Amino acid sequence: MGDEEYEVKKCGVRFNPPAIVITYLVKSTSKLHRRTMPLRNFTANSKVDKAAEELRTNPRHLKYLSRITKAQLERLITIIRDKLDGMSLADSLARNDRMDQIDPEEDLNKVDEETLKRKKAVMDIEFEKHRIKPGDPSFQYDISVDFEQNGEIEAAGWDSDSSEGEF
Amino acid sequence: MAKTVDPDYDKDGTDGETKVKIIGLGDSAVGKSKLVERFLMDGYKPQQLSTYALTLFNYKTQVNDSKVSVDFWDTAGQERFNNMHPSYYHQAHACILVFDATRKVTYKNLTNWLKELREYRPEIPVFCCCNKIDADPNVTKKVFGFPKKHNMPFYYVSASDGRNVVRMFKDCIKAAVSYKNNSTDFMDEIMRELENYDLESDRKDKDEVFDSGTDSLGNSSEKEENKKSGDDS
Repeated sequence: MGDEEYEVKKCGVRFNPPAIVITYLVKSTSKLHRRTMPLRNFTANSKVDKAAEELRTNPRHLKYLSRITKAQLERLITIIRDKLDGMSLADSLARNDRMDQIDPEEDLNKVDEETLKRKKAVMDIEFEKHRIKPGDPSFQYDISVDFEQNGEIEAAGWDSDSSEGEF
Repeated sequence: MAKTVDPDYDKDGTDGETKVKIIGLGDSAVGKSKLVERFLMDGYKPQQLSTYALTLFNYKTQVNDSKVSVDFWDTAGQERFNNMHPSYYHQAHACILVFDATRKVTYKNLTNWLKELREYRPEIPVFCCCNKIDADPNVTKKVFGFPKKHNMPFYYVSASDGRNVVRMFKDCIKAAVSYKNNSTDFMDEIMRELENYDLESDRKDKDEVFDSGTDSLGNSSEKEENKKSGDDS
């Protein structure tokens, strides 16, 4: 089945038993289908990225999940786990929104591992968007570009308000 | 877990090639691994050193008609603990400092990374790059004071679309090889001078001299010397 033969319309969660649910359109028939992908043995102590990886590498789910970003899948699974952990849905959504946000001032060396992984997954979306890889018409292994600075733009304050110590 | 013996970069490889070690430094999620991955492409085959949390990648090339074997060291997330294990810096011949064009804090933290690096390796060549220029087209018009202030070669790069990645790595490899060659010559000279000096000095000093001889000039053993000198003076 080619990528273009269907389109993911919605994705969501089922809490009990835990599962990711997607609704997709089969273009040839214009019919909507629903697919439920259970998270096996998933508990409040399970690792989100591991569960996401298990789903993504499951050949039975591959063609449905290839269109859903890792970040989004991890978000859905985190919502399920928060619920198992006793967190309210509102709190979980707020927490997940924060995890999905990239704050240029936030020091990611200091966040917990799960948050870091999630933020990396969010950044990966941008990375993939601009990616030029082997096989792409404009791919070149060694691309050198020089940029001219006419001194018009300073580093937008990146060098000022400096707490930088001399050494 | 597979055990890999710690490589020794002072010896030549079995093939007679020059071995150099290049380390990457910078905050979490600035794209250090992705840059190495973009440079190595199909050759991106990590070796895990069992003893420490780090990953290394080997790359074979030629510099001025001689064979060079480069090991790129990647942090494997160690930066989350705010400093690196000393072995990460040990015997490194060059360093690439990476920050993220979209996150100011990663630029600000370069100061700390450079400071830590210089404690172990006061003299190795350091390259600086602003990664993710694909995410912000205007960033390449900006001037960054940090690399200028510290006299570092600076590159605007994108691991995503590939701009300037290969160029930076190739320049860095050349600098690493040249540092290794020169510092070896230089060390020979120093060692000769120190051998004479040794005749007049006590055994303790001699041991320290040979310590630093196992690495190139100005290195982690200098730290130990500093500690010891506290006892002496």
